[in-house]
Amino acid sequence: MSNNYLHFWGVRGSYAAPFETHLRVGGNTSCVEITSDEHTLVCDAGTGIIPLGNELIKRKTRELLVILTHYHWDHVCGLPFFVPAFMTDWKISIFGPGNDRHDIEKHVSAQMKAPYFPVGTESWLARINYIGPEQEILRHGAMKITHKNVHHPGATYGYRVSLNGKTIIYISDNECKFIEKSVSKQRSELNHEEQTLYDDMVREEHQSELELIRNADILIHDAQYTTTDYNRKRGWGHSCYIDTVNMAIDAGVKTLYLYHHDPNYDDAAIDQIHQHALQIISERNSGMECHVAREGMRVDL
Amino acid sequence: MGTIAPTVVVVDNSPTVKKLFQRSIKDLGVELKIFDSAAESWDYLENNQPDLLFLSIILPDKNGLSLLRDLRKLDLHQNTSVIMVSSKDYAQDKLDADELGVVDFIAKPMPIQVITDAVIKYTLKSESE
Repeated sequence: MSNNYLHFWGVRGSYAAPFETHLRVGGNTSCVEITSDEHTLVCDAGTGIIPLGNELIKRKTRELLVILTHYHWDHVCGLPFFVPAFMTDWKISIFGPGNDRHDIEKHVSAQMKAPYFPVGTESWLARINYIGPEQEILRHGAMKITHKNVHHPGATYGYRVSLNGKTIIYISDNECKFIEKSVSKQRSELNHEEQTLYDDMVREEHQSELELIRNADILIHDAQYTTTDYNRKRGWGHSCYIDTVNMAIDAGVKTLYLYHHDPNYDDAAIDQIHQHALQIISERNSGMECHVAREGMRVDL
Repeated sequence: MGTIAPTVVVVDNSPTVKKLFQRSIKDLGVELKIFDSAAESWDYLENNQPDLLFLSIILPDKNGLSLLRDLRKLDLHQNTSVIMVSSKDYAQDKLDADELGVVDFIAKPMPIQVITDAVIKYTLKSESE
């Protein structure tokens, strides 16, 4: 019998939010486990990877693949406390943005240095294998993993995971419809010819954003801000949940998980976002399922 | 008469950007080469130094700043004039670009004249000096 599932270990963006008012959604930062039989893939290594590590050491498997979207703190800050890395019988492969495997090692190691942390990655006892970008397609058991650049500060990847005919897309940090908003904001500064050209560019970008997530069975996507906060924080590299929902509907996504929740939003605020997302889906007569990614949530694949 | 036209290379997979550049340089007498991906451009850039190189950041196969990092490792491109052109004009990307010695960072959308002025500034002006 197969054992394929996805488990949310951390769903917050920016910083951990271990507040009483936030615990129904969860306070740990980005980390999603995808397990297919004895193969475990870990998407990002925010604080959610700490409880995952404590769980993994109870299992038989001693090997895993970690894919990092980028190196902002909320995506790597769990690694210094990830117990399997400190155990001799583990083999951990790590992939993320970088020009070569040494670049990836440098980025992962940078946070574990004095005076910010008492020990470096040289204290890791596991066999660590940094995977360079020359490996365009990663394979881990039955999983096939590819990546694309997305719209967020610094080199940032979105991942497409294919498993037993299903497509799971993990895009934790991505500012949807950025060029469309830039063109709209600067429209008055452009002449007629430029406006026509940029309207074409907006259509092109829209198509390319749709291609990124097209026909996903499961899309886990940045939905960090309400409209009010997005207007204040445009250019911070995150999406307004309304754009995420509309993009997902347009791309034919089957199930959307709203992810990378703002740490300032308590459970009630995220419930409101969810209710509005469901309303948009209903008003657009879409059959897409939409859930709030919650810490501890497990989805059978 | 007989002088070689300056070469301007653009790496961007957008058909609209292609049109924008063709329109921007049409009266300048420069040779324009446009590549859709980092891999395609590498085949040319590995052995050729353009007078000016425009790079997008989100390319289908690679981050444009990673491409520039690879180019800077080649003796041929240590001093190549490079301008990043991207909607992705976050502070972190601009800082990375500065560290890689770009001469400018142009945020999309930009008026056509901005491209024309940049080409004149970094190619034709140096020709006449």
